[in-house]
This record gives sequence, C-alpha cells and structure tokens, in this order.
Amino acid sequence: MLEGLVSPENLSLSSMDMNVLERLKWLQQQQQQVVSRTSDNSPELLQILQFHGSNNDELLQSTFSHFQMLGSGFGPNPNMGFGPSHEAMDGCISRTSSFQMDPVDTMGVMLKNSEENRTISSKNKRKSEVKRREEERTEKKIKVEAETESNMKGKSSMSNTEASSDTSKETSKGASEIHKLDYIHVRSRRSQATDRHSLAERARREKISKKMKYLQDIVPGCKKVTGQAGMLDEIINYVQSLQTQIEFLSMKLAFLNPELELSVEDLYVKQLQDYFTNLPVVIASKPSIMVDVPLFPLDQQGSLDLSVINLSQTTSTEAPSASWETQSRSLYNTSSLGFHY
Amino acid sequence: MASADKPINTDVPEKDVFALHFLQSLSNLRRQNTFNSPEKTNDRVKKIKKAAYVSMARAAGGTNRLWSRALLRRAAKENNKVVRLPRRKKRVTCLRRRRSNRRDPVEEEEAERLRNLVPGGGGMETSKLMEETAHYIKCLSMQVKVMQCLVDGLAPK
Repeated sequence: MLEGLVSPENLSLSSMDMNVLERLKWLQQQQQQVVSRTSDNSPELLQILQFHGSNNDELLQSTFSHFQMLGSGFGPNPNMGFGPSHEAMDGCISRTSSFQMDPVDTMGVMLKNSEENRTISSKNKRKSEVKRREEERTEKKIKVEAETESNMKGKSSMSNTEASSDTSKETSKGASEIHKLDYIHVRSRRSQATDRHSLAERARREKISKKMKYLQDIVPGCKKVTGQAGMLDEIINYVQSLQTQIEFLSMKLAFLNPELELSVEDLYVKQLQDYFTNLPVVIASKPSIMVDVPLFPLDQQGSLDLSVINLSQTTSTEAPSASWETQSRSLYNTSSLGFHY
Repeated sequence: MASADKPINTDVPEKDVFALHFLQSLSNLRRQNTFNSPEKTNDRVKKIKKAAYVSMARAAGGTNRLWSRALLRRAAKENNKVVRLPRRKKRVTCLRRRRSNRRDPVEEEEAERLRNLVPGGGGMETSKLMEETAHYIKCLSMQVKVMQCLVDGLAPK
C-alpha cells in the first residue's frame, strides 16, 4: 500500500519528459528531505490537496512545477519504503502517458495514506535507520529501473488511459500483499517451534507430568525414584500390592468367619462409625496375634490361626449374635487401648 | 486440551462409607444362602473378594468414575445380568490410532501394564489413566484399611 503512493508519483514524473539525470537529482533531494525532516507532514499534504482541488480542471496543462510539488509532498513520508516492487514499476510503465488520470482518485489515495502516516509515524521512528538502509538499496534499484524506463518510453506511449485509475489501486493492493508476505515470512521462521502438532504434544506432556507429580504424592516411596518410567514402575508395584492385599484380606475374612455371621441388622451402625472414625489413619500391617501356622502359605503380612477359625465356627453355631457382640466389644477394647492398625 | 488448568479431583469418601458398603455386600452374600452349603474355601474367597471390589466401586464413584464403571460392568457380566449403566456424555476416544512411534517405548510399555491393572484402563488416554489411577489407589488403600479393621476386629484373642 505504501508503494501505491509511489506509483502515481512515478507516473506523474514519467509522464513529464524528464531526463534521467533530472530524476536522479530529484531522488537525491527526496532522500535528503527524508533524512532531515520529521514525519509531521500532514499540513503540507493538505496544502497540496487544496492546490490540486483548485487546479482540478487544469490538470491537462499541469506544469513541471506542479508535479514537483506533488513529489515534494510525497517526499517527506519516511515510511514509504521507496522500494517500488517490480509489479508497481510495471504498472507505472504501462501508464507513462496517462495525462487524463483522475486527480480525485489519486487524492483519495493520498488522503488515506496521510491518515496512515500519522499512525505509522510513531512506529517508524524506531525503524528509521532500517528504512534509510532500505532507501539506499532502493535508490540503486530506482536508478536501474529509470534506465529501463527510458528505454521503454517509446513503447509505453500507447497504453490505455481509462484503466489507469483502476490499475493504480491494483498495484497498491499488490504492494500491500508483498508487505503482508514479508510479515508472514518472518513469522514462518518462528513457526517451527509453534507448530500445531508440537504444541499439542507439549501440552499433553505437561498434563501427564502434572498428573505424575500428583501420583507421586499419593504413592509412598515414589519421590526417591527419578524418571517417568521408574515412577510408573513404582506406581504399578503399589497398585499390585494393594490388590494382593485385598485378596489376602478377603481370604482372611473367609477363613475367620466362614459362616459369615455378619449382618448389618446386628451391627450398631453408629457405634461402627465411631469405631471407624476413631481409627488412626496409618495402617500398620502388624497382626495382633502372632501364631505360626506352617501349613498356611500366606504368612508374609500376617498370620492366620486355624484353631481360632474352628473356635469361631463353634461359637457361631451356638449363638451368633452374642458372639458378634463380644467381638464388637473386643473391638472397642482394642481401639480404646490405642491398638495400632 | 482446553481443560489443562482443571484441578485434579480425586476426592474419596470417608472410611465408614466404604465399611458400610462392604458390610452390606457381605450380608447380601449371606442372604443368598450359598454359604450354608458345603463349599470350598476358594469359592468363598473369590466371592468375598468380588464383594470387596464391587462395594468399593459403589462407595467410591458409582458410575462417575471410569474404573468403577468398568468394575461394576464386569461384575454384572459375571452375574449374567444385563445391566445398563447410565451413559456418560463424554466418551473417551479410542487410543489405538493415536499412539505414535516417536514416544518413549519403555514408558509406553509401563503405561500399558498400568492399563491392564486399572479396571477399564484399556481405552484411556495416558493423562486420563493417571487421574483414574490416582483415584483408584486412594480407594484401594481405603478398602484395605477397612478390611484390615474388620479382620483385626473379628479375630479373637
């Protein structure tokens, strides 16, 4: 869009039968202006606009000074870039002889650009040095292109006048696209790290590691292990041990009370709740009674008393409810004694 | 992916809830009168174990948790009952096609082992599996505590 301004300017210049030398001089002037002046140029632009408005009908008889004014109006815009792309230059060459160019149209473009200048000027103060370098580069370009233009002048005198205003817009669009492309190109270099898949993968890993940390807090003895594989191994071992513990305990229950004299009706639920809430949190797997039973294989975590089972069988056949009450009483006694479970 | 900041919720109910559920299931076992017939102790152990797991699943999550759902479903299958659990709104997508080769093979193998351990872990994503495992571990330890208490209480001196 910035080259859009340059293109009608070039157009006007080339429409005048200027020498190449004159053009080069003018370009140098422009550069000096760019370097010296600040970006506050809106009143000048307005003056030029008024000038154009008054000379709306006399555009055909427009003199060289008129165009120089136009050029000076364009000159102080530092953010022009002054790098007319090849497309823009082509557009210029095609319209070298367009004298009947609609001035209102160009004025509209200029107005827009002046508005943009105000916003962009603050940003461009930082980039002024970079712009100067670019201008140095583009100056060379312009020199080469001016030479080619002087060669092309004879051919381009037949171009269409009506399409000039439309093509100026198109060239401005093309220029803006080029600018956008530049911007995207800069981002595309960064986009290797911000790829969608790698982002998703990273998020997933973060999620998993967060949950692994949470699991580390739950599983005892997991904090010493480093590495996810070791942690997972520890977790698996813990789950397996818990499952075997449940199996073992259910086995114990089956042996302890084979007739299953438990029933909820017999239990005093509140007392049971009290009992369970009074329990210490830590499980101590130490059994209360240590009787060695060589026949029973599962004696790693506790011991089973087969004689006790027989006893309980006999007692349960005699008076089940009474036996349960005595058991519960014994339960309470153990809890009050601070028995470690 | 959007719920990355959601806190992990593995709240487990109190001990007495587990105890009540377990005692209820034991009394149900007794009512079925299968224990009066001369049975092998192996069957009895199996039944008590199953009762323990099912009561744990009921006490902990019901149908809200994936592992408890899987446990209840398995138990219902063993009973040859067609039990329709209420359908969950969000289904976990199948994991098989997602797995790629670039991940750590050892870690993946460990995760596979964990999947076999946790009920219903076959179709879970890894992060979901971790969450379910955390809840499952909590419930298992709670159940172990309850059963230990019962055993210690029932064992006469």
